[in-house]
Amino acid sequence: MLKIEGISASYGELKVLHDISQEVADGETVVTVGPNGAGKTTLLRVISGVLKPTSGAIYFDGQRLDGKEPYEIVDMGIAIVPEGGRLFPGLTVYDNLKAGSYTKRSRREFKQSLAEIFSNFPILEERHNQIAGSLSGGERQMLAIARTLMSRPKLVMLDEVSSGLAPKIVTNLFELVKAIKSQGYSVLMVEQNVKKAVELADHAYLMESGRLQFLGTKEDFIQSPHIKKAYLGI
Amino acid sequence: MLILNAVINGIFFGGSLALLAYGLNLCFGVLNIIHFFYGQTVMVGLYIIFTLTVWLHIPLIVSCLVAVAVIAALHIVVHLGVVQPLLKAPLLNQFLALASIMIILENSAMGIWGATYRGVPISLPVLSIGELYIRTSNLIAFLGCLVVVGLLYLFLNKTYTGLAIRAIAQDTEMASLMGMNPRRVYLITLALVGVLAGVVAAFFVPIYAVHPHWGGTFTLMAFVIVVLGGLGSLAGGLLAAFIIGVVMMVASFLTIPEGGPIAAYLIFLVVILLRPQGLLGARVRA
Repeated sequence: MLKIEGISASYGELKVLHDISQEVADGETVVTVGPNGAGKTTLLRVISGVLKPTSGAIYFDGQRLDGKEPYEIVDMGIAIVPEGGRLFPGLTVYDNLKAGSYTKRSRREFKQSLAEIFSNFPILEERHNQIAGSLSGGERQMLAIARTLMSRPKLVMLDEVSSGLAPKIVTNLFELVKAIKSQGYSVLMVEQNVKKAVELADHAYLMESGRLQFLGTKEDFIQSPHIKKAYLGI
Repeated sequence: MLILNAVINGIFFGGSLALLAYGLNLCFGVLNIIHFFYGQTVMVGLYIIFTLTVWLHIPLIVSCLVAVAVIAALHIVVHLGVVQPLLKAPLLNQFLALASIMIILENSAMGIWGATYRGVPISLPVLSIGELYIRTSNLIAFLGCLVVVGLLYLFLNKTYTGLAIRAIAQDTEMASLMGMNPRRVYLITLALVGVLAGVVAAFFVPIYAVHPHWGGTFTLMAFVIVVLGGLGSLAGGLLAAFIIGVVMMVASFLTIPEGGPIAAYLIFLVVILLRPQGLLGARVRA
């Protein structure tokens, strides 16, 4: 489904991604873990088209997507939940969800998508007229995920969904990701919460200083001595 | 009773000001640019209507529609030629570029139409209700502008394009990740802003005669209203437009004609000193 081949990227002079290759198969959940500043978020920014890579290629369903604009990429079926949710704080919950279904493809199914979202997240239906900026942290993240699903994506990218939230809410969010996964979406997730994230993964990558250091199935990953020592504290 | 007359005139005047302020606010909210020549585009609109109706004997309604289209087109040309290339330029460059357009428009008008006042001779009746005298032209402008503000509100709140305009005003990058094309939305916004200026020109035809420097006053007044209401707050702009309209008319009535602008700008200064974010400008960018 998603195939990343030798992607490098820089912010100005600073090279942040070095020759990254990664794959997400249809219906698979892939998790990239690693310390802060490793380049995980940058990789998602490159895939979503916000940052143009300096070399390499990205394919989605066989179609090349690097060089395309973000609004074209979301229309191809890749949607992102950015770190912190990045809602439109001054718009209502309803308008945020509607913004999620902006692409031509998802617009036609707006009513159906909305009904599904409201039945899965009754709290959002209850607050549909409320300004998004007035929601609690957990509700915001829920809305951010719901907004992304409104675009009817094939691949959902999640950038540090758990960051800055209380442990109980984090647990709920990971349950939510699990539910998304079980509905057949492909998921590409970037996380600092290694333990919880890897549990959900079919494949996991470790990224350090802009390079992929380890790739394996969930089992391989947890067994790796380096990962055990540095990230799982075992 | 006469003061009530001034209040009513002020409210009517406020309707047109609200439309002007709405356009300026959209421009600032969406593109983050300061539209320096907004009043000047209304001025050009008035000249177009004058030329078509008085010189070429084209029916007024047709002239007005042509003016709206030309002002919208003018905005599109300026956007593609000047604004878009300068969106990421330093603020001062944007400022000077847009100010240059203002100078170009004013001097072109001076060259084409000369310094004399040009107006379309339309005499609309004055309605009298008891001791109240209402100029029909002001009433039409007021009602017309309210209808347009209402349509604009519906457009912004009920359509996907309107949603894109509002979303881009909040977070351009996120909006593009939702599938919105910022370049396209910028262009639509500028065209829309042009349509608003054209509509204001059409409603101003029976009220004002125009001269080349006529626009400056309105650019400045629209700015004052936008800042007074709170930059980016459409509701605030509406409120401020009516406040300024009423203050100007009442102060002119109570003192001398020049007292109107003096009072309006004094109020503006006081508000800006005590409440820099404007009346309803509590907006926080996340």
